[in-house]
Amino acid sequence: MSVLLDVKNLQTHFISKKQTVKAVDGIDISIKKGETVALVGESGSGKSMTSLSIMQLVPSPGGEIVGGEVNFNGRDLLKLKEKEMRKVRGNEISMIFQEPMTSLNPVLTIGEQITEVLRYHKKMSKEQARRRAVELLKLVGFSRAEEMLKDYPHRLSGGMRQRVMIAMAMSCDPKLLIADEPTTALDVTIQAQILEFMKNLTHQFETAILLITHDLGVVSEVADHVVVMYAGQVVETSDVERLFDEPKHPYTQGLLNSIPAIEGEIERLQSIKGNVPLPDEMPAGCRFAPRCPKVFDKCLTSNPELIPQEQGRKVRCYLYEEGEDAV
Amino acid sequence: MLSYILRRIIMAVPILIGISILTFSVMHLAPGSPTSMLLAPDIGPEVRIAFEERYGLNDPIPVQYVKWMGAMIQGDMGYSLVRVGMPVSEMIMNRLPNTLILMGASTIIAIVISIPLGIISARRQYTVTDYSVTFGSFVGIATPNFWIGLLLIMWLSVNLGWFPSGGTHTLNEPFSILDRLHHLFLPALVLATADMAGLTRYSRSSMLEVIRQDYMRTARAKGFTENTVIYKHGLRNGLIPIITIFGLMLPSFFAGSVVVERIFAWPGIGDLLITSVFQRDYPVIMGITMISAVLVVLGNLLADIAYAIFDPRIEY
Ligand SMILES: Nc1ncnc2c1ncn2[C@@H]1O[C@H](COP(=O)(O)OP(=O)(O)OP(=O)(O)O)[C@@H](O)[C@H]1O
Ligand SMILES: [Mg+2]
Repeated sequence: MSVLLDVKNLQTHFISKKQTVKAVDGIDISIKKGETVALVGESGSGKSMTSLSIMQLVPSPGGEIVGGEVNFNGRDLLKLKEKEMRKVRGNEISMIFQEPMTSLNPVLTIGEQITEVLRYHKKMSKEQARRRAVELLKLVGFSRAEEMLKDYPHRLSGGMRQRVMIAMAMSCDPKLLIADEPTTALDVTIQAQILEFMKNLTHQFETAILLITHDLGVVSEVADHVVVMYAGQVVETSDVERLFDEPKHPYTQGLLNSIPAIEGEIERLQSIKGNVPLPDEMPAGCRFAPRCPKVFDKCLTSNPELIPQEQGRKVRCYLYEEGEDAV
Repeated sequence: MLSYILRRIIMAVPILIGISILTFSVMHLAPGSPTSMLLAPDIGPEVRIAFEERYGLNDPIPVQYVKWMGAMIQGDMGYSLVRVGMPVSEMIMNRLPNTLILMGASTIIAIVISIPLGIISARRQYTVTDYSVTFGSFVGIATPNFWIGLLLIMWLSVNLGWFPSGGTHTLNEPFSILDRLHHLFLPALVLATADMAGLTRYSRSSMLEVIRQDYMRTARAKGFTENTVIYKHGLRNGLIPIITIFGLMLPSFFAGSVVVERIFAWPGIGDLLITSVFQRDYPVIMGITMISAVLVVLGNLLADIAYAIFDPRIEY
């Protein structure tokens, strides 16, 4: 399979007079056509900023993409003019957000919010767009799609709104769907349903997904590949089976230990001690060192590179340097 | 919708009764009586008693109120004490259209200038543009209407001669819409300045609130231009609270029109009100107060209905 999105050394900073926050500090992500890649990490690790940077929707003034490449389908999006970038957004790359309750415009009908994208990018007539919108709403499980077009978002539940968001995001048949915690705000039964719709639709349209989440249960269910982020950097990347079988980075191990095990005897739920470092107190060495159970001298003085492992895995940890034994 | 409107109208009744009682009482507490105004000081007491008798000025105040209110409901506001024999309703109706035209024009000016300024200011928050608009608004808020009015008359009509300094039209000339607009512009602009500053501030903060909403990010993620995002997705949301502000501004608008009409010799009910106050022409004063109250209540009702139309989340 060919590579669809290849993000290289992406850096997004929040620059103010007081300080520079390196929200995204040299991220690499690669997604193949039709593949689902999960981006995981604790709150504040820079997941949303990574996705907004890919879309070039970083809040401005303040946020700024200061370096790197976002190669998409053979061209670097960061080099495109704003006008060309607009043709990519919502059309080739679309996005759904964490907050279904507030992500739809309260004063526009569902129909308007779906058809406007089709008319803008695909130059459809009103009638064509309307028919397509009905189709899309049916695909995300609304049986009375026709009447729904005239409804306003406030009448819908969170799960229904997220389904509308999916229909909207899929309307132009994008090559990549970025889903920023699409199910976090929903209750568990609805979560499964939303994921199901996302999986089916993207499979049907051969859309690749960048799924941002901190729910490792979701990751194991839908992702092919996982990128683990910590404090603005990638600390481990792996295919999903190997990551769950044998997590390498102590941070990943910590994340996996903090999922409650459902089968077997009740395990003690372990959480990683401490918090993500604040931007103005970044450790000099490895960013995870202050919380790492396996920390040793070298970790405190310099930050490791991403070290290649077998099967294309990579890990940012001195434990896996040439000559060290995995612990 | 219809029942919502009806409910709102019924709710307005006690408000209007309250206002009428208040005006009526205040008017009677004020020093100076119509008798002392209208009759020569050297007039004999029997004439005075006859006068008071004739106009019901000796009745107990509650009785006077009930009589006045009863007639009022039937559209009879009594007769002017000064221009004897002239029905108050006729005096007001002769003047009311001028006031409504003036207010209408100023509302349009205020909207056309303030809302775009507020939007621009919000889009360029913390830039020179934003600071200039903010500074201008505060100057506008702090400067009294009559002073701006006098200044503009001095500058634009006296010095430059671009606009007439008063009246609704050039006397002794056939009706011409251009001539009317020419006369209307300055007073309407001055009246607008009072609320423009506030309206600009409200539009700015309302748009700032809207700009950081999630649905705006959704709209941007759809690939729309920033103008489409702001004007299609943002503006309607931003206008909703401004509609209410409009309703709330109406009373100050009336107050402003009194001053502006006076300065520009604009024959509206505000100008009439001042004349009547000086002459202690009670029926006229009360008539105007009541009409203004009805108009303000009506204006708020319209604002509420507009709100319900604009915001699909309102259930009525
Ligand atoms: N407007 C802003 N100004 C300054 N810093 C910001 C701003 N927005 C985000 N950041 C910084 O960027 C970092 C990454 O934020 P981001 O929203 O990408 O985290 P996240 O991984 O998506 O977290 P969550 O799971 O809570 O959504 C944060 O730690 C924060 O310090
Ligand atoms: Mg986030």
